Parts: sequence; C-alpha cells; structure tokens
Amino acid sequence: MSSFLDKVKSIEPDKKKSPFLHTLYDGFFTFLYAPDEVTKDGVHIRDGMDLKRTMVMVVLAMQLCYVFGSINIGHQHFAALGMYDSFVDGFHLKLAYGLMKLIPIFIVTHVVGLGIEFWYAAKKGHAIEEGFLVSGALIPLIMPPDIPLWWLAMAVAFAVIIGKEAFGGTGMNILNIALLARVFIFFAYPTTISGDEVWVAGLAGTEAGSPADYGWGVGFFNWIFEGMGLSTFDARATVVDGYTGATPLSLAFKGGWENVTAVYTPSQMWWGGIPGSIGETNKPFILVGAGLLIALGIASWRVMLSMLIGAAVCAMLLNVWGATPFMTVPWYYQFYMGSFFFAMAFMATDPVTAASTTRGKWIYGFLIGFIGMIIRVLNPAYPEGWMLAILLLNVFAPLIDHYVLEGNISRRLKQAAANSGNTTTPAPVTAEH
Amino acid sequence: MDFFNIFIKAAFIDNLVLAYFLGMCSYLAVSKTVKTAFGLGLAVIFVLGITMPINWLINTYLLDGAINGLDLTFLRLILFIAVIASMVQLVEMVIEKISPALYNSLGIFLPLITVNCAILGGSLFMVAREYNFTESLAFGLGGGFGWFLAIIAIAAIREKIKYSDVPPALRGLGMAFILTGLMGIAFMSLMGIDPAALTGTK
Repeated sequence: MSSFLDKVKSIEPDKKKSPFLHTLYDGFFTFLYAPDEVTKDGVHIRDGMDLKRTMVMVVLAMQLCYVFGSINIGHQHFAALGMYDSFVDGFHLKLAYGLMKLIPIFIVTHVVGLGIEFWYAAKKGHAIEEGFLVSGALIPLIMPPDIPLWWLAMAVAFAVIIGKEAFGGTGMNILNIALLARVFIFFAYPTTISGDEVWVAGLAGTEAGSPADYGWGVGFFNWIFEGMGLSTFDARATVVDGYTGATPLSLAFKGGWENVTAVYTPSQMWWGGIPGSIGETNKPFILVGAGLLIALGIASWRVMLSMLIGAAVCAMLLNVWGATPFMTVPWYYQFYMGSFFFAMAFMATDPVTAASTTRGKWIYGFLIGFIGMIIRVLNPAYPEGWMLAILLLNVFAPLIDHYVLEGNISRRLKQAAANSGNTTTPAPVTAEH
Repeated sequence: MDFFNIFIKAAFIDNLVLAYFLGMCSYLAVSKTVKTAFGLGLAVIFVLGITMPINWLINTYLLDGAINGLDLTFLRLILFIAVIASMVQLVEMVIEKISPALYNSLGIFLPLITVNCAILGGSLFMVAREYNFTESLAFGLGGGFGWFLAIIAIAAIREKIKYSDVPPALRGLGMAFILTGLMGIAFMSLMGIDPAALTGTK
C-alpha cells in the first residue's frame, strides 16, 4: 500500500511549471486519501473530519434519492405508456431508462461545474475547493428528468460563476448554488419548466396516442435484454387515454385535495411513485438522509424543525382561511406533495447560506416554511415555493444574524453593567450564539 | 383591507428597488454598513409616507382642474419635487438634532433623498394608478418599507462579504450590482401574488 502511495506521489506535477495539472492532481489526491501534511507548530485540533469529508457525507446521504430517482424516471415513463403498472414490474427497463436519463445530467453538471472550479483554482493558485461536490450532487436531483442538457450546462455555469466564484469561492456564497442553477432555468424558460410536460421523460407529448420518444442507447439495451430473454423497450408504445403527467401540486392548485386523490393515492405520493424532479419524490428516503445528516452533526436540526413548524403553521392558517380549493387541502397532506422534505433536508440546512446563530436558525427556518407555503398556495405563477423561499431567506440570513448578534451584544452589555455594580469580576466576553 | 393589500404589494411584491430598480443611487452608495443603511431606510419610509398623501392632496385639489377648471397638471413634477425637498429638509434637521453621528455618516446622501427616484417615482405611480388618499398613504409606507428592507438586507450581505476573497475587479460596486440582481431573483418569489384577488376586495 505504501509503495503504491509512493508511486502515486512520484507523479505529482510541479506546482510552478504546470499549475493546472498540479491543481487537478491535488484535488483528486485529497479526495481519495487524507493528505499527509500535518500542522507543525502551535496547538491545533486534528481531525479526519475536514471539509471534504463533510461534503462526502452529505453526498452519501443523498444516495438513496439517486437510486430511487433513477428507477422512478423509468417508472413514470412506463406509467404514461400504460405499461408495467407495479413498481417492480419491468424493473430492468425502468432502471436502464432512468440511468440513461440521469447519467448524462450528472456528467454535464460535473463537467461544467468542476471544470469552472478547476479553472479558477488553477488561476488563483489554491487547491481545488470541494464545494462543488455537494452542489454537483444536488443539482441533478432537483432537475426535471427531461431537461435539455445545454440548459443545464448554462444554469450550472451561471450558478458557479456568478453565485460562487464572484463571491470568492467555496463557503463565501450568499445564495445556495444548486437552487441558483434551478432558479436560472426556471426564470429563463418559464413556459417549458412550469408546465406538466417536463416531468416525464421520453415522450413525444403527453396527449393520448403520442408515441414514446427514445433517444440513443435504447437499441444497445434492447440487444442486452433480448440476449438475456427479458422484455425490451417498445418504440411503438403510445401514451394511454386520460394521462396528463400533472404533478400533485398542479392538480391541487386546480381543484384541491379531491382532485389530487383522484389521480394519486397518498401512499403513492409518500413513497414517491409520482412525476416530479428526479430526487424529491420519495419522502422516506429523504428523511433517512436527513436523519443521517443530523446524526453526523452536519445539518442543523433547528433549521429543519423550525421549517417544519413554519410550514405547518402557515398551512393551518390557510386551512382556516380556505378561500381557494388549494387552501382547503388539509395541512398534513401538504407535506405529501411537492419537494418540502427535500428542500428541508438538503437545501435549507446548507451551513454556508443559512443563518449561523442559534436563534437566527430558528427564525430562518420558520420563515422559509411560512413563506414557502404562501408561495406554493397563494402564488399562481409558481407551482412550488421552497426554492424561492430559501433563496429569499438566504438573502436575509446575514441580516438575521446581524440583529441576533446585536441583540446578544446589548444584552451582554446590560448584564455586564449590572454585574460591575456589585462584583468586580469582569463579565464573560464570549457571546453565546 | 385595501390599505393592507396595497402595503403588502408595495413592500414585497412590487418592491421599488428590486422590481422597478428605483432609488439605486443611494441604495448602492449607503449600503456599506447596516447602521447607516438602517437610518437612511427609516428616512426614506418617513419621506415617502409623508410626501405621497401631501402630493395626493396637491394633485387632487390644486392641479387637476379644481381651480376654475384650469388644467395645471404641467406643474405636477415641479410641485411634487418641491414638497419632497421640503420634507427632506425637515428630516435632515430632525436627524441632525437627534443623531449627529448618523447625520455625519449619511453625509450628502441625506439631502440627496430629494432626487431619489424611488420617492418621486412613488408619487408618479400614485397618479398613474389613480390611488385615493388612504391608498396613496399605504403605497408610500409600503414602498418605503420595501426599500428599507432591501437596503438593510444588502448592507448585511455587504458587511459579510467584506471578508470574502472577491476578485479585485468586482470589489465594491461591482459586487453590489451582482448582489442586487441576485436579490431581485429572490424577490421574484412573491411576484404574481395578487392580494386583492385573494381577499376578494376587488
């Protein structure tokens, strides 16, 4: 093992002569192995849990969503064609088709995002920052499966350059990078992205009778599956009557809860066999990821809990108001639809863009939940609210922190003034936040 | 309820800075620290909240054919600005008396509220949208509050990114412009909500 490591070390490019190659080497080396440089003087805490490991943990927490998402792409595709109704029927076809859609999205995201990251790292002469690992893992999960890849490339480039590198790189961004990429697509191509058609991949249209629209690769899989004696893709299949491809949210907006349950059962929504963005449909798997993040101490449970409370309170208030069909959807069923849990677990808790004070986190999470529900239910322009609510609160997070700190400072000062009256011991200076 | 609707709409949905990009000059120049931004924001709320009803009165009872049927609307701009200027003068004197430190840190930008286009724009919107007296008061206070929120939010962000390794070419104003754009995206979240349609008052 050590001789192998020596060999790996021996090919390390010189930093001065070829900065780009060095950056590339350094990035992959520290990704695979812990660096052997140790701090030499002073007292430091040494821990294997550096930024890169933290990021990898977050990526691991999302893996269940990836697995489920890729199968669900195929499942939705065949549901539209009226084939393989049960989730496990035609499993190989669903998985193959899902991967065929997901892998290009994943590759484009990473080639563009990491390419920009590497370029900046080489230009500025620092090691590769790992920030894009998490953003790059999140972005495919929040995209609709049928997204054109060049939109995706533009969105990622916009998010990484304007949202992150302009602010000075990893850890400095104000807005969540993954959400910025999503919002770019949302506002750049509003008619396409907010309709009902993008959520199911591989159809020429969602009207009854329109044929399946397979791209490259299907022939290859058919050849394999035929050889194994399994069922194959059928390009002659057509969309069944009465199929719309509408998400539960767009159904609820038009006609309330009854309209949703006419198409999807609650357990279907809970377990995620519904059209939607790739990674957000299965709630239990997201909650497993969220539990993992909380257990490892990476994500803040305060943000998650307060966001849940905020959304629940807002939905209850809307129940009481009850002016439109959507407002009358029972508040607990609001959590069955849309991407609330995904936003809660992976988006709102981003430690860089969230508020960083304890009290600030409660306020931040609560407001995301509250405003997100308002946007979802009251705003006819957008089908879902969490993306925009989180971005809005990302903007206000520094302000929340500022006033929480000011409040702490003035409270401490008052305490100190009161203390100095009767004792001589100085008041503690470390502010609790 | 109308009052409330117009207040919410002016503050969050049609934010003067982030939806119309009005009042950018002082918004960009005074947003370096939260403290001064807070002071200027309050001053703008006050000036907008006072001048819009006054301008409404002037517009309705002096200019709009109220005197012998004379159409004096060509005097609108100059009278509106005169009202705004005198109000700003008032605010200036008050701030100088109450908080000389804030007065000094605001510097030239306090008298420059006079030509802050958010304020004149507010009055002109009022005429164009044919608000009545309470509606123009609501629009003034709401618009001012929205401006206040926008400027303290960007000030807090600019205080935070002071420690970031921003590319040299973008430091200062460049970053402020990018931030304003990104904040505009975030504020688009509420655009499209129509409070009047929801409460059924229209």
